[in-house]
Amino acid sequence: MAEAQKSRLTFAHVEEGATTARAGKNAGNPYLPEVATVKEIVQETPNIKSLRVTFDDAEVMENFSFAPGQVGQLGVFGVGESTFAINSSPYDKDYLQFSVMKAGEVTTALHDLTVGDKVGVRAPMGCSFPVEEWKGKKILYIMGGIGAAALRATISYTLAHRDDYQDITIIYGARTPQDLTYMYDIEDWEAREDVNALITVDQEAPEWDGRVGFVPAVLEEEAPSPKDTIAITCGPPIMIKFVLQSLEKLQFADEQIYTTLEKRMKCGIGICGRCNLGPKYVCVDGPVFTMADLRELPDEL
Amino acid sequence: MKFLAEDKLQSLLKELANAAQVVIPARAEDAEGMVSFRAWEPGVEPELDVLLTRQSAKEFIFKQCEEYLTYHYTMEGETGVPEEEEEGSPGEDEDGLEEIAHETLRVEARVEAPPQVLFGLRPCDASGLVQIDNVFSGYGGFYFDPMYNARREATTILAVACAEPRSTCFCTSLGGSPSGTEGVDALFTPVEGGFTVEALTDKGEELVKSSAFVDAEGSQEEAAAKVKEEIEGKVDEAFGLEGVRENLQANFEDTEGWDELASRCISCGTCTYVCPNCYCFNITDHKVETSGERVRTWDNCFNPSYTLETSGHNPRASKRNRFRNRFSHKFWYYPEKYDSLLCSGCGRCITHCPVRIDLREVVREMGSPRVAASGEEA
Repeated sequence: MAEAQKSRLTFAHVEEGATTARAGKNAGNPYLPEVATVKEIVQETPNIKSLRVTFDDAEVMENFSFAPGQVGQLGVFGVGESTFAINSSPYDKDYLQFSVMKAGEVTTALHDLTVGDKVGVRAPMGCSFPVEEWKGKKILYIMGGIGAAALRATISYTLAHRDDYQDITIIYGARTPQDLTYMYDIEDWEAREDVNALITVDQEAPEWDGRVGFVPAVLEEEAPSPKDTIAITCGPPIMIKFVLQSLEKLQFADEQIYTTLEKRMKCGIGICGRCNLGPKYVCVDGPVFTMADLRELPDEL
Repeated sequence: MKFLAEDKLQSLLKELANAAQVVIPARAEDAEGMVSFRAWEPGVEPELDVLLTRQSAKEFIFKQCEEYLTYHYTMEGETGVPEEEEEGSPGEDEDGLEEIAHETLRVEARVEAPPQVLFGLRPCDASGLVQIDNVFSGYGGFYFDPMYNARREATTILAVACAEPRSTCFCTSLGGSPSGTEGVDALFTPVEGGFTVEALTDKGEELVKSSAFVDAEGSQEEAAAKVKEEIEGKVDEAFGLEGVRENLQANFEDTEGWDELASRCISCGTCTYVCPNCYCFNITDHKVETSGERVRTWDNCFNPSYTLETSGHNPRASKRNRFRNRFSHKFWYYPEKYDSLLCSGCGRCITHCPVRIDLREVVREMGSPRVAASGEEA
């Protein structure tokens, strides 16, 4: 009898202290979204809106916490869900912020929402950036366009614990000045003495007196030393490709480079199958990976 | 060990049907006469002479289509926006758009798991469910799927040992057996005049309490042992498992090799639907006016849209890559995550493939060391 039952598992093994969000048998239905209300909408760029939402259940809101880099499934009932980084600060207890670029069915429906509308949220999901491990190091953020959304919570966290880190550099670029998200953050970064913010756009533009140039070029110009430095990059695939080449030139090791991945997802909980990178699922084993992790996996990005 | 006389089978099914839905392999009454699992009704004879049903019984636990959430919007103030208000009236915003009344929303999860007995599965199908269990039950500390597990708990599996394998059977190559007991609550072995029956779990022990069973005689036990032994040796030795995972990994970039095997694949996905182990699914929303459902349906990793991203980027845009993913999933990715294989050797993918792709050939080719220079093989 024992033999027949051997490989049959009827409950989840919840691992204490795991960096990945895990839910066992008693953690409720992982497919059931919490209903939340859109409280504020920020038009970040012509095609990106940030939605600030709060859970309708006050207790859920009170108890909600996430680690920087974790994501959530945000959806409109009747249309569907998509995966977005939770980009509010982990210390912000007033709302969760998701930034949405209008691209497909779900993002269009999210763009059509107005303040007061209902959404469904399943969060937090996936693993986070190891911000604790990084303490004592220099932090170099390299991001492009909507990629800033995936790193915003992590930036907030490292700034909230500013004394725990050495130099913090933020290289952020967009195609045009209008495509820069989080202007309110940029102002703050630029005003701070303890942040080296390098904001750039691809081409000269009217009323832009800032830096002009592609993100990898700015990175090479700045030429940060790899010593005691963690580089975190997120942006369009073409930017990442050249950023990685530049980091290699600057002699960053694969273990020092972090990124966060996107894939088409449905369940978000490692079951439905589509977001695999070889034997890893981006939804539960990621979205955060080091370059060293990625070199071990089949190249199906 | 118990014995069930052939003429007691109907009364057993009837007895079981008092407390649960009973599902059996049955032959359709039309000209095609397809054998498939369906709910038993009085008088319907289980078709056990045909070794395998068209599809496995996985759909009774992992439903082909399942509404798992319902939602209902109610407009505040019931009637919502006053319809009589005219254009430019205070009921509209400055863009001339209708002002939207904010809704309240009720969302409910739906878990349906009526008790059921699945009779007549072959051991490969039962073992397939065990492999899916790993994925849905949170093995390795991941998430627990309430819909799947509720049905799994509510299901009793009565497998019937195989009598004669097909040429496409290869369970023994994967550590299985035509009389395997993995995932089986009670195993029925055909012998002269009926079946010997072994209870393997508590659910099985409960079952054999029925008065339909008698204690098996020594000669019947011997006959059952002989049946099992004889068929075991008849199953095709398709390939050795040693090194398959490592070789698939080493051959991942062998695009020529994969292209050659995948060239005639038409991406129909039949193999994934008939497979007792495949479990990928899609999620879609269906809403009419103010109410709707969120539905999960079987998906198919051969479909390009399975991984197609909104940007137009597709990590597995080519047929070769999708093809490679399916076999790598079964013999490399899944084993790495769940310490088991995602194939139980039923051979349905081979019999039903419209272009005769043979999983055994794929594993033999890509699960073995490849000749480095592509020209040498020709």
